[in-house]
Amino acid sequence: MTLMDKKEGKGEYWRWLEYRSIMPGRDWRNAEVITAGVDVGSVGSKAVIMADGEIYSWSVMRTGSNSSDSAKKALGWAMEGTGLKLNNFNYIVGTGYGRVNVPMANRAITEIACHAKGANYIWGPTVRTVLDVGGQDVKAIRCDERGKVVSFLMNDKCAAGTGRGMEVIADLLQIPIADVGKVSLSVNEEPEPVSSTCVVFAKTEAVGLLRKGWSKDKVLAAYLRAMAIRMSELIEKVGCERDFVITGGQSKNIGIVHRVENILGMKRLPVPSLEETGLDPMAAGAMGAALFAKALHERSMKR
Amino acid sequence: MASDIEAGSKYIPEMSKKEIEELRSSIRAASIKVIKENTERMKKTWPNRPETMEYFDEISNFFGQREKEIREQKEAGKKVIGYSCMFAPVELILAADAIPVRIGSGWYDAAKLGDRIMPVEVCPVIRSTVGAKMVNLSPYLELSDAIINPLTCDGRTKLSEILSDYKPILPMCPPRVKDDPQSLSLWTEEMQVIKKKIEEVTERKINRKRLRSSIKVMQRATKAFRRLQDLRKGPPVIMGRDAMLVNQTSMWDDIGRWTEKTEALCDELERRVNEKKWACPPDTPRVMVTGTPMMWPDSWKVPNLIEESTPQGVMVADELCSGDRILYDPVGVDEWTMSDMFNAVSERYLMASTCPCFTSEHGNEDRINWLMDRIKENKVDGVIYYVVRGCILYAMEYARVKRVLDRMGLPVYYLDTEYTREDVGQMKTRVEAFLEMLEARIDI
Repeated sequence: MTLMDKKEGKGEYWRWLEYRSIMPGRDWRNAEVITAGVDVGSVGSKAVIMADGEIYSWSVMRTGSNSSDSAKKALGWAMEGTGLKLNNFNYIVGTGYGRVNVPMANRAITEIACHAKGANYIWGPTVRTVLDVGGQDVKAIRCDERGKVVSFLMNDKCAAGTGRGMEVIADLLQIPIADVGKVSLSVNEEPEPVSSTCVVFAKTEAVGLLRKGWSKDKVLAAYLRAMAIRMSELIEKVGCERDFVITGGQSKNIGIVHRVENILGMKRLPVPSLEETGLDPMAAGAMGAALFAKALHERSMKR
Repeated sequence: MASDIEAGSKYIPEMSKKEIEELRSSIRAASIKVIKENTERMKKTWPNRPETMEYFDEISNFFGQREKEIREQKEAGKKVIGYSCMFAPVELILAADAIPVRIGSGWYDAAKLGDRIMPVEVCPVIRSTVGAKMVNLSPYLELSDAIINPLTCDGRTKLSEILSDYKPILPMCPPRVKDDPQSLSLWTEEMQVIKKKIEEVTERKINRKRLRSSIKVMQRATKAFRRLQDLRKGPPVIMGRDAMLVNQTSMWDDIGRWTEKTEALCDELERRVNEKKWACPPDTPRVMVTGTPMMWPDSWKVPNLIEESTPQGVMVADELCSGDRILYDPVGVDEWTMSDMFNAVSERYLMASTCPCFTSEHGNEDRINWLMDRIKENKVDGVIYYVVRGCILYAMEYARVKRVLDRMGLPVYYLDTEYTREDVGQMKTRVEAFLEMLEARIDI
């Protein structure tokens, strides 16, 4: 069991849980190399601290209006109570949308490379296709057995099918964000997807459907189905090869996961128990970043 | 010129002089800033950038010395012939003692202006050209006495009508099939017509002597141009952006002077090759760009991202009609007779073109061959396929190009964008992730 701290939301429906944990039985003081990956996404900021390439502690928080503060807060929370100080780190890698604004980072690497690397760490060398659904981007990534990117595709500059879009719809329907997936799957029959894949238009369309007398769960199902179709198109375009995994915040949304699996006719690899392993697919990018940090530190030592 | 049906009415709605002047001066000021910024950024990326580059920086200023020079020559009686695309025979313009200038527009702010009257489906290169015309922004377009406008795509076809409200437009129809028996003869007829029209505009006869001398001038330019491109085959002795700038300035500079300056630059670069003085580390991922033309200054967006990214990339080649294609192919003359020279010019402009406006059973083979040759010769690590929204022909050719590159085992990334600065953040992630992928051979 990990020591898990959670910060509850304040009752807004879009607000998701922030959490952090320290892996038990590990002491950073015994480690030779201490690294961190800080993934500042548009919605969530994630920090992972690794001791000799193994997860030591981590945190997941909402990103504030300032990337640099969000990076500091996320890493600060992962360090809290550990006795770690910034000068204990051998190398820090920043990633995510705000990667260039991670003040303590030695280098920035894109979330695309980091998610592939992180997925390889979580699920092992059989992973070939990664769907990363973040706060404002959807990325379909193909990688090799070492977790190296072979090719990738990214959605347009639009929030459709992303975490931010889910927040918007959760707020509109007044369904807590954590329940969105479950509720969307409670319909007896899958409705037609909403026709708009733009969040703004989809929201308008959802309002129209509610007025027409559709139930909330049916509207939600229609929205999630449209988003799942969009994501699946991206994966099919890049070419889906087994094993397939989902990372990013939406990996927790079973409404999306089930639908994407159905459309592709392929199951994702199951998510390992968070409590036992500390491996959160939402923090895959930060994990990849911490691993790159270790490799970069070791390379700099060799020189 | 407006037809009888709608005599006097223009496609672009009338705007007040005051509004035109205000918009023009604000976009012009913004553009001067972008030109300056791009130059500074290029200097920063290449700290030991040779002084010989400064000449091209000067010529790259649309609102500077070169504009003044053309204006003065025009006042002294010279004609200016603008052209929108590389199908226009520069040799014929020069042979009529006129000044050739390319008028394609890379201004993002002008595209926004064009949005007021253009449908969103139209590609931004056209929207930007229309926007520039709305406020008389482009000095070269404004200075043109006539504009040669090859009708390579639907946008250009309609652009002809719009610009004809202001300038004599000399359209040219390239055949869409290159290798049919009648293609070259159709094109040569088209050339004959354009020759006559150029003669009318300039009131100058294109005779054997003048054509011969203009072909020679352009052959020398091609030689210098090729020398520069050949220098990019080895370790990076010049950054791609800087080479692209040199290439593009040939489209509006005095071509004789441009040739001298380019030779001088090549002399300097050759010295640097001997000294192994590289523009960036020799193991920098080598990128090739292909697709929609990238016009100076605003469409430096993607080149800037590639060469300023971490990890850095260097553009060692491109397949762009705004880049390595401009002067790559010489006019090959066997006998210096009028008809031989004329046919040679005609053949060069049709056969050497790799424009996606062509079609054949096997796709645009010449383009694919160009890509494959350059990939091998310039030791390209990865290709960025650049398309601006609305550029249907390039977008549609992607699938076939990708298949060929996949077979070669060469990574290719489709980068679609708009004439906007708003997507720079997302573009940066795409470009960087692609370069990280290329860099992954340095195992971390």
